Amino acid sequence: MIDDEQFFAWLDGELDPAEAASVEAMVAADPALQRRAKAHRALAGRLQAAFEPIVREAVPGRLSEAASPRGSEVIDFAAAQHQRPSRPKSVGLQWAAMAATLAIGLVAGSMISGGGVSPIVQEDGRLVASGELEQALYTRLASAPSDEGTRIGLTYRDKGGNLCRSFAGAGAAGLACHQGRDWRIRGLFEAGEGQQSEFRMASGPDPRLAELIDATIAGEPFDAAAERQAIAALR
Amino acid sequence: MDFDSGLTQCLPRLRRFAHSLSRDSADADDLTQATIERALLARAQWRPGTRLDSWLYRIMRNLWIDTARSRARSAKREAPPEAGDSVGIDPRPGMEASIDLARIMAAMSGLPDEQREVVALILVEGFGYRETAEMLDLPIGTVSSRLVRGRNALLDLVGER
Repeated sequence: MIDDEQFFAWLDGELDPAEAASVEAMVAADPALQRRAKAHRALAGRLQAAFEPIVREAVPGRLSEAASPRGSEVIDFAAAQHQRPSRPKSVGLQWAAMAATLAIGLVAGSMISGGGVSPIVQEDGRLVASGELEQALYTRLASAPSDEGTRIGLTYRDKGGNLCRSFAGAGAAGLACHQGRDWRIRGLFEAGEGQQSEFRMASGPDPRLAELIDATIAGEPFDAAAERQAIAALR
Repeated sequence: MDFDSGLTQCLPRLRRFAHSLSRDSADADDLTQATIERALLARAQWRPGTRLDSWLYRIMRNLWIDTARSRARSAKREAPPEAGDSVGIDPRPGMEASIDLARIMAAMSGLPDEQREVVALILVEGFGYRETAEMLDLPIGTVSSRLVRGRNALLDLVGER
């Protein structure tokens, strides 16, 4: 029997792989636990979805003014010394759009998983690929697509030198970059209805994903040979 | 990343956290504004190279606790608020909110404070258990047990659809 804390730590991707596998096996053997996992995944998804529009909407003027030192009346002397011209607003907006995609990602993640291991988990507050998605990012080639599971789109290096790959799975498409020992999720977009079957293009038809790739790519996407070499070098 | 642009970039997420903690959208934006003002005053205490977002969340959480305490004190002096009458919360007019937001905010406000903040940081804001424990100065086991109680209670409050 697993206790509540262990069960939820598993659900939240907080267990090490060995513990996670043992909880996974217990859940797989117990329909009541499966129902519970499903209900709590749905709850988490609903929470994310309910709060997500706040991140996406424009920040009220009084708040952005309060945050720019120029508009604030509460600057102390040290702050005034550090004062710099404020950055263009687009930085914040870009960030907000990014965060919104990540929030959608959690919802989409619970959809992709179909009750099994989630393809995206939280580690130290970051979203990283797990399970089948992680495997696909490490092994699959766009030049040798598989009919099942995750399809890989573009592979390239970002401006920080990290290897990045776009991917598409059931109901969602996104971008992950290899940092440290993880594939960090940089963006995840829910595919519109009826889009999934036609999802064949390199970066996908989703303009938001194409935009994210444009914003991060350094140079050109890899060709088949460079892709194979880069993936082999990860192992 | 300098302090000013970091603060501006964190605003959408800070507002979301404020909505998890507060009773309604107006309270949430007041809390966000108070957090910004406090953060600007205390900016010399933030160490560049450490996470600005966690630092800001911590300020917001502490301010919210102070506000909640003083509200509880004044509520004792004044007429008691209608207990449990939180279902009618409306998001601010014109706010592009999901239909579910008011209902979820109402359910969150039914949780004890110490459970609500943990649920918000982990399930809504996406922090890990360890980061949450550090932010709240709590042992990780306490975070984990509050999370269990909070999300079980929340599931009951929100109900099955």
